[in-house]
Amino acid sequence: MNREALVEGWQEYRRSPVAVAALALVVAIALLALLAPWIAPQDPYDQSALDLMDARLEPGSIGSGEYVHWLGTDNAGRDLLSAILYGLRLSLAIAVTAGIVALTVGTAIGLSAAYYGGWFGAVAMRVVDLQLSLPAILLALVLVAVLGQGVPQLMAALVAAQYAYFARTAFGAASAERRKDYVEAALSTPLSGARVLWRHLLPNTLPPLIVVVTVQIATAISLEATLSFLGLGLPVTRPSLGLLIANGFQFMLSGRYWISVYPGIALMVTVLAINLVGDQLRQVINPRRRR
Amino acid sequence: MNRRQFLSATTAAALSPASLALAQGSAQGAGGRTLTVGVRSGPESIDPHWSTLGGHIEALRHVYDSLVAQDENLVLRPGLATSWRAVDDTTWEFKLREGVTFHDGSPFTAEDVKFSLERIPQVTGPMSMTLYTKRAKSAEVVDPLTVRFVTDGPAPTLPNDFTRLMIVPRKIGAAPRNEEFNSGAAAIGTGPFRFTRWEPRGDLVMERFDGWWALKDGATQPWARVIRREIPNDAARIAALKSGQVDMINYVPATDVASLQRDPTMEVVVGDSVYVFNVYFTLAEKLPRLAKVDGREIEANPFRDPRVRQAMDLAIDRRALARVVFEGLAKPMSQLMPDSFFGASPNLPERRPDLARARALMAEAGYPRGFEIDFHSTSNRLPGDSALCEALAQQWSRIGVKANPNAVTGTVFFPASTRGDYSLQMSGWGTLTGEAAYTYGAMIHGPDPSVGLGNFNRSGYSNPEVNKLLLDGSRTLDDAKRREMFARAAEISMNDRPMLPIVMPQTVWAMGRNKLSFTPRVDQETLAQLVTPKGA
Amino acid sequence: MTAFLLGRLAQAALVMLVMSVLVFLGVYAIGNPIDVLIDPAATQAMRAAIIRQYGLDLPLWQQYGHFLGNVLRGDFGNSFVFRIPVLPLILSRLPATLELTVLALLIAAAFGIPLGIWAGYRPEARSSRAIMALSTLGFSVPTFWIGLLLILFFTVELRWLPSGGRGPVGWLGLSIWTREGWTHLLLPALNLSLFKLGLLIRLVRAGTEEVMGSEHVRFARAQGLPERQVVGLHVLKNIGIPIVTIFGLEFGSTLAFAVVTETVFNWPGMGKLVIESITSLDRPVMVAYLILVVLLFVAINLFVELTYGLLDPRVRAR
Repeated sequence: MNREALVEGWQEYRRSPVAVAALALVVAIALLALLAPWIAPQDPYDQSALDLMDARLEPGSIGSGEYVHWLGTDNAGRDLLSAILYGLRLSLAIAVTAGIVALTVGTAIGLSAAYYGGWFGAVAMRVVDLQLSLPAILLALVLVAVLGQGVPQLMAALVAAQYAYFARTAFGAASAERRKDYVEAALSTPLSGARVLWRHLLPNTLPPLIVVVTVQIATAISLEATLSFLGLGLPVTRPSLGLLIANGFQFMLSGRYWISVYPGIALMVTVLAINLVGDQLRQVINPRRRR
Repeated sequence: MNRRQFLSATTAAALSPASLALAQGSAQGAGGRTLTVGVRSGPESIDPHWSTLGGHIEALRHVYDSLVAQDENLVLRPGLATSWRAVDDTTWEFKLREGVTFHDGSPFTAEDVKFSLERIPQVTGPMSMTLYTKRAKSAEVVDPLTVRFVTDGPAPTLPNDFTRLMIVPRKIGAAPRNEEFNSGAAAIGTGPFRFTRWEPRGDLVMERFDGWWALKDGATQPWARVIRREIPNDAARIAALKSGQVDMINYVPATDVASLQRDPTMEVVVGDSVYVFNVYFTLAEKLPRLAKVDGREIEANPFRDPRVRQAMDLAIDRRALARVVFEGLAKPMSQLMPDSFFGASPNLPERRPDLARARALMAEAGYPRGFEIDFHSTSNRLPGDSALCEALAQQWSRIGVKANPNAVTGTVFFPASTRGDYSLQMSGWGTLTGEAAYTYGAMIHGPDPSVGLGNFNRSGYSNPEVNKLLLDGSRTLDDAKRREMFARAAEISMNDRPMLPIVMPQTVWAMGRNKLSFTPRVDQETLAQLVTPKGA
Repeated sequence: MTAFLLGRLAQAALVMLVMSVLVFLGVYAIGNPIDVLIDPAATQAMRAAIIRQYGLDLPLWQQYGHFLGNVLRGDFGNSFVFRIPVLPLILSRLPATLELTVLALLIAAAFGIPLGIWAGYRPEARSSRAIMALSTLGFSVPTFWIGLLLILFFTVELRWLPSGGRGPVGWLGLSIWTREGWTHLLLPALNLSLFKLGLLIRLVRAGTEEVMGSEHVRFARAQGLPERQVVGLHVLKNIGIPIVTIFGLEFGSTLAFAVVTETVFNWPGMGKLVIESITSLDRPVMVAYLILVVLLFVAINLFVELTYGLLDPRVRAR
């Protein structure tokens, strides 16, 4: 991948205004999440900063902290805007970390399977294939049930559910590349195999992997929210978006819709934006789409 | 094909909502009405001796009767036994009701009572029924309508305990396990309804039993069919009521009461309950889950210092909790049961928060920066339990005590709690027998299997003075003296603070407006036989 | 051919064995399984008796041996919470989950295939772009949130449909025989179908686009065949098999994902049962569910592979 290819890729990407808007949105969300401790009016994870008397205030009300709760407060007195920012931060951090780990593990497996081939490659890919057919939610459920709740367990579940996609993609791209003449030629020289892997196979598998990692981050955010909703995700005092939504649902019927709806919108917009970016990236790197 | 053809094809496929009108929840069965109740939790099997969980007992009171009954204020009333008296210090005699038949037509006799009592230790599960029957060492059939129980020492509250002794027919034999009960083969009782069918977590369907003994006494029972539908999710239960799928629901969360009251099609019934939320400190030398100071685990147990316990008590603003978590539908408590109950003390004033003093006490006790500890509670037993857990954690954080709230289901919580797995915990306790010996004997007396007291003493608290008062009190048949002993024991133990009573929540039911008539019970039970249609 | 068949069967059996070991270890070896079982007030003697009865004093590998032996005979033990046999408990919930899953997939297919064909047929049209955006939305929005909104809208606001539970059950344990059954089925099935709908639209679109650009279609057009025939015959024929294959594989995944929908709509299926068993630490139920679902996946995969093997000799040579 060189600079020219990047510029060309960006030109291709820009062809869809929706995708550009989505990218802007993703960047904005990431920035907000990153800067949350500085821009949020309250640290919703600090129990002593909360006041029970502020519970369930309507959007626009002023609480005991003497500032406006633009999105209202939840059942425990957390400012919803802060809770959403911190929740996004937590969800994104978990999803991105799990994504990177899964990317590393999966790519390592896929690349080695493609490079070494033979018995090892066949077995590795068989396992990956089988895992691909098992739905992520099932794996996550099993791991949470067995390992208990908490951030490390959740990450383990996400990585286990996702590495197979990366492995499969890396294997596919690397296999196709491996068969090319220039690779055969390189392998027959005294240059080490590792160098071939690193300089030839890996760079060519990166584009499809980037697409996969984008989509997987969105999936991870969604999966974590679902697990939290089912009561199997993160602990109650550090609520992620999923937990905020779950906790807020019981108040929908008595008219306090904001406790569940706003985090839900935040979740939906984030996942949607990331998916749209991933879509367009897929268009860009897919050779068949070249006109 | 063009756009128009495409659109017309797809629209035709769309289902017209008007054609899928909602089916009515209450069906008119042949020759009678059906009552459909949406309940928060249901039974775990149809064997009444399997569990003491509230939802289990409540459901099975439709099919089975207990030896002794209670009215809505837990005052004892004749049930399957019409009268009882203490023959001597260790013997009680119960006279049984005549002319009672089981659902299969066989007559109810003293043999069935003896059989029921003896069966319990063999078949009861982790939430053990022996809690209510362990005082009775043996049962003797004097004649078909008289039973004598020999107790281990004086047991003045045996009749209260027997409000949960459900009677099954002797003829089912020793074999039936939960499967036989669940299929109906062994589910034979004397209650107002015959068991029809049930599936775990599914609908419990029952049908009127015309031979119910109370009907002969003039009681009426208007329902031909009763369906108890388990809907554990509070919002879903309310939605089911609003959409007409069920006729009434129990355990309405406090947050929805106001909006239901405003709804012209809905009616809300609020009642006092006997349940009190209590926080328990584990007082053992070594905590099962260690406390942390500045992130590092410490060997010492901070709760052993009475100043720490007092500080945590002073950090709690009970009125705020009642107002915010329960939206006013709860009463701040300073002891373990309602003031009006037998054995409650009139000398325990309301507890008001004092943060400054609390912080001073923490510093004095050697924890100026506080400590961190795991805090467990139930999540699905009483409405508001997990919310209260979080709210308490929040209030304690003001004095530096970082409590990590963990709300878990009852099935996990209760056995773990009794095993001693928790360092700091909270749950609701209802004084279901209406008097102090049940509560104080179980929770305040030091754990002592030899006298059968302190089974639910989660803190490990044991004050010899209190123990003596409770033991003597439980063996004194003189009411006035007993009342005084228990009141004194309450005063001493509440000031020792092995546990902190928090609030007593009210119970709320909801139903369609002007449809049903119902007197709330303080044990929170929803019994179809006590619900009548308006204008019936 | 036989070698291929045997080879695949052997692989499947191996996978099941490995799964059973993992599941057993994971669920029984961690923590103390009997705590939920025994009355905490039980004496040491009673506790020891129960431990012996469940064979929990034996070494782990022996416990696994008994476990495997029992499982092969169809005995998954008793539920810790209800103290009734696990396999009948789970199987009694199977019809509920099956009918929900099948209906969800049918809905996804009924809407997804025509929409996908349209989007692939005219990829530049505004309606196609809208369809593609819709499909992205379909799998972006978390299923549970849509479920909650559906309940809020259709049940509480409009009062058209019930909020949860299942209708009356009839023949084969299904609830599709009555109108009431359908009113209860509709929202959960719709909720479950949305995710697959999004995926299916994309799949069908990609397949349609590919076919539209192929030689066959260009030749058919050159022949002057009417558009409808071109699309109908060639497109459908060529995307047919891959679609059906993917559908088969997605069936298992949808069944597992029904866990979320069943929880939101209080639908009494296997998924709701397994969530409850996790929160109440009912280990035998967890184990049985996992093993059964993995068995389902392995069986479906095996079936698909065998079918391919039969149809395409090149596959067998691998």
